[in-house]
Amino acid sequence: MNISELLSTESIFLPSTATTREEAIQQMAAGMKASGAVTNEAAYVDAVMAREQQSSTGIGFGVAIPHGKSAGVAKAALAFSRFAEPIDWESLDDQPAQIAFMIGVPEENAGNEHLQILVALSRKLIHEEFRAELINAQSKQEVIDILTRTIG
Amino acid sequence: MKKLLAVTACPTGIAHTYMAAESLQKAADQKGVPIKVETRGAVGVENGLTAQEIAEAHAIIIAADTDVDEDRFAGKPVIRVAVAQGIKVPGELIDRALAKEASSGLGASPTSRPEENEGRKPNMFYKHLMNGVSNMLPLVIAGGLIIAFSFLFAFTKGGVDQVEGSFGAALSTIGGASMGLMVIVLSGFISFSIAGKPGLAPGLVGGVLAKDMGAGFIGGIIAGFVAGYIAHYLIKTIKMPKNFEGLKPILIVPVLSVLAIGLLMVYVIGQPIEWLLTGLTAWLTNMGAGNAIMLGAILGAMMALDMGGPFNKTAYTFAVGLLGASLYTPMAAVMAAGMTPPLGIWLATVIAKNRFTKEEREAGKVASVLGLSFITEGAIPFGAADPIRVIPSFMVGSAVAGALSMYFGGGLHAPHGGVFVLFIPNAIDHLPQYVLSIVIGTVVTALMVLLLKRKAPAKL
Repeated sequence: MNISELLSTESIFLPSTATTREEAIQQMAAGMKASGAVTNEAAYVDAVMAREQQSSTGIGFGVAIPHGKSAGVAKAALAFSRFAEPIDWESLDDQPAQIAFMIGVPEENAGNEHLQILVALSRKLIHEEFRAELINAQSKQEVIDILTRTIG
Repeated sequence: MKKLLAVTACPTGIAHTYMAAESLQKAADQKGVPIKVETRGAVGVENGLTAQEIAEAHAIIIAADTDVDEDRFAGKPVIRVAVAQGIKVPGELIDRALAKEASSGLGASPTSRPEENEGRKPNMFYKHLMNGVSNMLPLVIAGGLIIAFSFLFAFTKGGVDQVEGSFGAALSTIGGASMGLMVIVLSGFISFSIAGKPGLAPGLVGGVLAKDMGAGFIGGIIAGFVAGYIAHYLIKTIKMPKNFEGLKPILIVPVLSVLAIGLLMVYVIGQPIEWLLTGLTAWLTNMGAGNAIMLGAILGAMMALDMGGPFNKTAYTFAVGLLGASLYTPMAAVMAAGMTPPLGIWLATVIAKNRFTKEEREAGKVASVLGLSFITEGAIPFGAADPIRVIPSFMVGSAVAGALSMYFGGGLHAPHGGVFVLFIPNAIDHLPQYVLSIVIGTVVTALMVLLLKRKAPAKL
């Protein structure tokens, strides 16, 4: 498995015109439904929002990683947005989010493989060069290329 | 070089756990600090910390919003923060961790750390033991020095007993209080190291019982380990209905663990000690003065065997009893033998600095004062930290001192006083030879320690 199996072009928003956290999450969930990864959009969005209520997933440096585990997810998947206007995500460092990766995981986990990829992505996001590349990406394909090259 | 460890965890275990781990790793790399980060996420525990690494670590950073099995860090400096802090301010966490005091004085001693190939178990045993010893050490030092100081006041009176209500008596009481906590704290913190907070209560109670029944520091070590494993076992095995779960930590575990260690101490440990005391006394009495030199050697070895435990108490009480019968030589042998363990270990730390850690060398200086004051307990931290090698050394040195004292016919007319009593006219018979026995005993102790103890490995 590689990251391109988790992230399809339907769930990449470049740029996203969403102006709120809720809107951004709904938009990405819709994209994941279009790609077939999400079957019950409402249930998945509920899970993601419930996670946001616990504590924001805005990890700082302009990055947010909303995520949720839900029966509404058929197979593990990713969505990516770069916002036209950075969105307030109640981040740890109070900086608005420039990019967001949304993670969807099915209730019943089938193997660890996809988790390893998400783990690798989480680790990579800490590094500034990686974030800069994503922020400057010009096309959906470039986003996928960057991820494939750095994560596999 | 200070090594750091960290553990990261979050409830979902997908993102934050690993971001915090990466953040900490990155910040540590930038500062040139070695760090190992254990992650506890959805894929399980990865990069798990070993007991060896924990033992060697300077401090541990826990950035987690879930349970991370913290018991294994008992006795180590721990910085506990939310997982988000690990992502947000990793550099600050590393600076805080570096600024922490190293875990414990003697605890940091690499000299007696079990060899690597001895595996996990002895390592844990040593860790629990050292947690007790390092917490006990300040009490020995404070209590011992204050008691020694009280002798100075008693000295002016021409005897060794403090006048009631005098300042010397007050010092003696204070020092005695501190020394009295020694076995209790040793037991309590061994148990705490094993079982965490629930281990403290049974450990302390076991320690008090060990002290009261005269089981000495060895009794305290036994009480601490037994209490700790009882508490640990109870926490693991007791299952409560959900509604009563809250009662487990505040009622069930404390009552059962204290009761269990208490009954064990009273019925299983206490009775044999009483028999031992009676038997030893009878044996010493039978020996009488048949072979004076042999008696001196036996009394001496007993003084050093458990330094305040049943053997030591029996030898001391036996000698004090003979003072009433105007037999002064056993008392002299006992005091000489009681002075040599702390004096010998001090000499060893002076002769071979590289065998001891900085903390041990400092403790050695204090031990010299305690030795001069006939406070044998000053050597306990060294004995407890490495019993197999150190206690036999003490016993040989003390046996030599006791035997020589008897041989020279040294006599002591007071039951205590250490070096202070040497200045009281007519308190000691054959003074120069008596001092010589103490000096020779001290040298023998030091040489034995150096012979048996291994060289301290290079500093980490």
